[in-house]
Amino acid sequence: MAQKRGISVSLFSTCLADTFFPSVCFATVAVLERFGVDVRVPLSQTCCGQPAFNSGNRKEARRMAAKFLSVFQGEEHIVTPSGSCAAMVKHEYPVLFRDEPRMLSLAYHVAGRVFELSQFLVDVLGVDDPGSTYRGKVTYHDSCHLKRGLGVADAPRTLLKAIRGVEFVEMEESDRCCGFGGVFSVKYPHISCRMADRKIERILETGAQVVTSGDIGCLMNIGGTISRSGYPVRAVHIAEILAGSEGAVP
Amino acid sequence: MRQTAELLDRVRAALRGRTVAEPGLPYVAPREPGAPGSAQGRIDLFRRKFEALGGTFLAGPAAESVIPALGELLRAEGVTALFFPEEDPASRSLADALVPFGPFLLVSPADIRQAEPPVSAGIQSAEFAIAESGTIVQTSRGGTSLWPGLASDVHVCLLSPDRFLDGMEDCLEALSGDPPRSISLITGPSRTADIELTLTMGVHGPRRVIAVLPSS
Amino acid sequence: MEPRVRHFVRNSEKAFADRQLQVALSRTTAKFLENRAAAVAEFPRFEGARESASRIRQEALDNLDAHLARFITEARKRGAVVHAARDGPEAREIAARIAKEEGVSLAVKSKSMIAEEVGLNGALEADGVEVVETDLGEYIIQLAGEPPSHIIAPAIHKTREDVSRLFEEKLGEPYTEEIPALTRIARRRLRDKFFSAQMGISGANFLCADTGSVVLVTNEGNGRMVATLPRVHMVIAGIDKVIPRLADLPVLLSLLPRSATGQALSSYVSVLTGTKRAGDAEGPERLHIILLDNGRTGILQGKYREILKCIRCGACINVCPVFQSVGGHAYGWVYPGPVGSVLAPLILGLPESSPLPNASTLCGACGEVCPVKIPIPGMLVELRGDEREQGLKTPAEVLGMKAYASVMSRAGILEAFQRVAGVVSALLFKERKIERLPFAFSGWTERRDFPAPAPQPFRKLWKRQRGIRPWTR
Repeated sequence: MAQKRGISVSLFSTCLADTFFPSVCFATVAVLERFGVDVRVPLSQTCCGQPAFNSGNRKEARRMAAKFLSVFQGEEHIVTPSGSCAAMVKHEYPVLFRDEPRMLSLAYHVAGRVFELSQFLVDVLGVDDPGSTYRGKVTYHDSCHLKRGLGVADAPRTLLKAIRGVEFVEMEESDRCCGFGGVFSVKYPHISCRMADRKIERILETGAQVVTSGDIGCLMNIGGTISRSGYPVRAVHIAEILAGSEGAVP
Repeated sequence: MRQTAELLDRVRAALRGRTVAEPGLPYVAPREPGAPGSAQGRIDLFRRKFEALGGTFLAGPAAESVIPALGELLRAEGVTALFFPEEDPASRSLADALVPFGPFLLVSPADIRQAEPPVSAGIQSAEFAIAESGTIVQTSRGGTSLWPGLASDVHVCLLSPDRFLDGMEDCLEALSGDPPRSISLITGPSRTADIELTLTMGVHGPRRVIAVLPSS
Repeated sequence: MEPRVRHFVRNSEKAFADRQLQVALSRTTAKFLENRAAAVAEFPRFEGARESASRIRQEALDNLDAHLARFITEARKRGAVVHAARDGPEAREIAARIAKEEGVSLAVKSKSMIAEEVGLNGALEADGVEVVETDLGEYIIQLAGEPPSHIIAPAIHKTREDVSRLFEEKLGEPYTEEIPALTRIARRRLRDKFFSAQMGISGANFLCADTGSVVLVTNEGNGRMVATLPRVHMVIAGIDKVIPRLADLPVLLSLLPRSATGQALSSYVSVLTGTKRAGDAEGPERLHIILLDNGRTGILQGKYREILKCIRCGACINVCPVFQSVGGHAYGWVYPGPVGSVLAPLILGLPESSPLPNASTLCGACGEVCPVKIPIPGMLVELRGDEREQGLKTPAEVLGMKAYASVMSRAGILEAFQRVAGVVSALLFKERKIERLPFAFSGWTERRDFPAPAPQPFRKLWKRQRGIRPWTR
C-alpha cells in the first residue's frame, strides 16, 4: 500500500456530517490516515454557506464563505466527504466575491486546494486500492455536484471496485438527480419525493444491498425515503465503505 | 420606420458601456478528419447518408437501369401522375422516358393543387447535393420552382456528378453575396413524430425522396 | 397565452395525478435524450461546434445594435416590410393591422413559440381571421383548445386515441387508431388550407444580419409551404434571433436538430431572403417581419444577457428531472423547463414568476447539455438572489437564514446547538430518525424520514479522541 508520509490534510467535515453523521467524518479520517496522511481538523469551521447561496441569500452566504476562507486559508490540502460542499467552495465562492478583488484572490487560492475524498485519494495520492474489506452488493449514485460540478465519476468507482468483498453493480440513470437540491427538498417536497422514488426504483432494480454516494445530502434524501418505506437496501456514505467501518464512532 | 428606429435606440441603450465593442471572428470548429476530397468520395458519402435517412439512390446507365428501376419504384408507391417544372428540360425528358413504365399521366403542377390530388411524383433537377448530411438543395434561382418537392407524394431529384459538395458551408458559399429568394435544404422525407413519438412520413410534403444519378 | 406561472405547485400536483401525462412524459423525454446522446456520439466535432456556436451567439448579442440594424436594412432592401413591436399587445396590434391591410381572412401558421408568447392567434381571430396551425402537434392542440406542453412536441400529452376522438368530434372523421391514417387526415385537411390561405405566419429560427434572411427549420415541411404558397408571409421573431452572418448557419444547424430531436439535420431548412423576385416561379409578394422586443432589450442590458443565446432546442427541458416529473403545462407559460424558469421572471417579472427559479435542484444537467453553453443553473441561483434583494422572499425564509448565519458564525455557538440537539435527539428519537418535522420543514417528512442529530457531534468526539481540550478552536 502506498504510504504518502509528509502530506498533510485539513478535514472539511461539513456541518451535516458533523451534526448528523460523525461516523462519516471518522471514516474519512481513517481512510486518509491509512495512507499515511497527517489529518488535522480545524475546529473553528462551521458551514460552507451552500444552503444560503443556493437559496439566493447572498449576504449570509458571503458571511459563511468569508468565515470558511479565514479558517482554511494557508492549508495545503482541504479534503471533504461531500461533493457538493467541495463544489460550493470551488465554483461558487468566486461568484460570491466577484466584486471584491482581494477576497476573490483568496477564494481562488483556497478553491484550488479543495478536494472531495475519492478524488483526493485517486488523483492526489494515486490510490487504486483502498485496502479495505466490505461485504455486500453495492451500487453507486453520482451526486450531481460531484459528477457535473467537479467532473468526478471514475474515482469512486475505481475505489469501490477494488474493495475486497464488494460486488459492484451499476444502476441505470446513476447520474440522475435524486431530488434533494437542498432547500428544494423542503420547498417542493412533492416533486422532490417523486424524483427520489425514481432513484429508489433504479437502485432496487440492481438488487444491491447498499447504495452509496459521495454526498451527505443525497444520502439523507435517499436514506430517508428508504427508511420510511422499508425498502431492502441501505444508504451508506462512500467513506464508511472505503474505511470498512459503517456507523462506527469512538 | 419610427418603431424600428426606437427599437434600435433601445438596443443601443442596453449595450451602452459594453465590454466587447469590436466583433471578433468566431471560433470555427475544425472539419472532421477523413472528409471526402474526391468527386467520387463525395458521391459515395452522399449516398450513404441519403440512404440512412430512408432515401433511395439510383445510379447507373439511364436507359438500361435507372429509368426502369425508378418506374418500378413509382408504381410500387402507387404513383399515377408525374409533374415537373416547365423550365427544367432534364426533368421533362426523365418524365417522358418514365411514361412507358407507367401507367403514368404527365400532369401540370396546377393539377396537384387540389384537396384530393392523384398520387404524384414531382421530378426536378437538384441544384446541389451535400455529401456530409445527405442533403438535396433547391433554390429559386433561374425561376426554379419548389413545387415538385413541396406537395408531391414522392420527390424525384435529378443529380449530376459536378453538383456534389462536401458540406453546408460550401453550399452557402456558392450562394452567398446575394442569395436567391429561397434556399431549401432537404434532408430526408417530410416527417413527424407528434403523435406518441411514432415516426410517420409524408405529413405535408413527400413521404419518399429518390435521388437519381444517371450516367450518360 | 395567459401566464399561470404562479400556480406552479397546484399545476404540478395536477400533473402527478394525470397518469397518461406521466407515461407520455417519461416516454418523450427518454426518447429525445436517447436520440440526442446517439447524435452527439456520432458527431466528433460536437464540443468544438458548441464552443463555436456559443461565441457566435455571444457576438451577435454583444453587438446586437449593429447586427439588428444590418438585418433591417438588408431585409428592406429585398422587399420586406420590417416592423418593431415593443411588447405583446403592440405585436398583436401590428399583426392584426397587417392582416386587415392585406385583406386576409384565412392564415396558415407554422409552429412558433413567439406567437404563443404574444398570443398572436387570439388577436387575429378577434378580427375575424381564421388561423390554422399546420404543424401536426399544434393542429391537434388547436383543435383541442389547449396550449403546447413541449416546445418541440406540443401535443405529446395526447395519445392516439385522444387524437382520433378529437378528429372524430371536431372534423367528423371516422375513428381510427392508426397513426399514419391520422397523419393522412391532417394532410388532406390542411392541404386545402395551404392553397386557399392569403397569408402564411411563421416564426424564425434565425435571422441572418448580412443578408436579411429568415431561416425556418421544420421536419414536416409545413414551414416552407407557409412561406411559399400564400401571397403574404408574416414572420414574427424575437430580436434575439439575429445571427451576424449567413455563413454562421452550418455550425448552429449542426447543433439545433441534434440537441432537439437527435437528428443530424431536420428534414427542411429554408433560407428565405426577401419577397418574390422578377422571374421567380413562386413566393410571397409581400413579406412582413415583426421584430419583437417584449423585455429582451431589458435582458440584454443586465447580467442575464446570455439567456438570449438560446436557440430553443429544448435539450435543457428534456433533461431536466423536474420537467420530467411535472411536464410542460405545470410551468404555466410558453417556455417550460430550465430555460423557461429563467425567461419567465425576466419577461413576466420576478414577482409573477417566483416559484420557477426555485423549482430546480440545481443538478446542472441543463447546463451540461446546452448547445450554446448558457450557464442556466447559475442564472437560477442569481434570480433567487434577486428575489431576496427585491424583498420577495417570505419573512420566514429570511428569518431562518439570518438565524442559520448567526449559529454558523462561531463554532462555539454551533457546538452548543449541536449538544442541545444531541441531548434532545437521544431522548426523543431512539431509532435515530425523525418522522415529523415542524413548520416549513414538514414537507420533508411527509414521505421521508429525517436523520436525528447525533447524540454527540463529530467535533466533540474528535476532541475527546485526540485529547484536545474542550472549546479549543
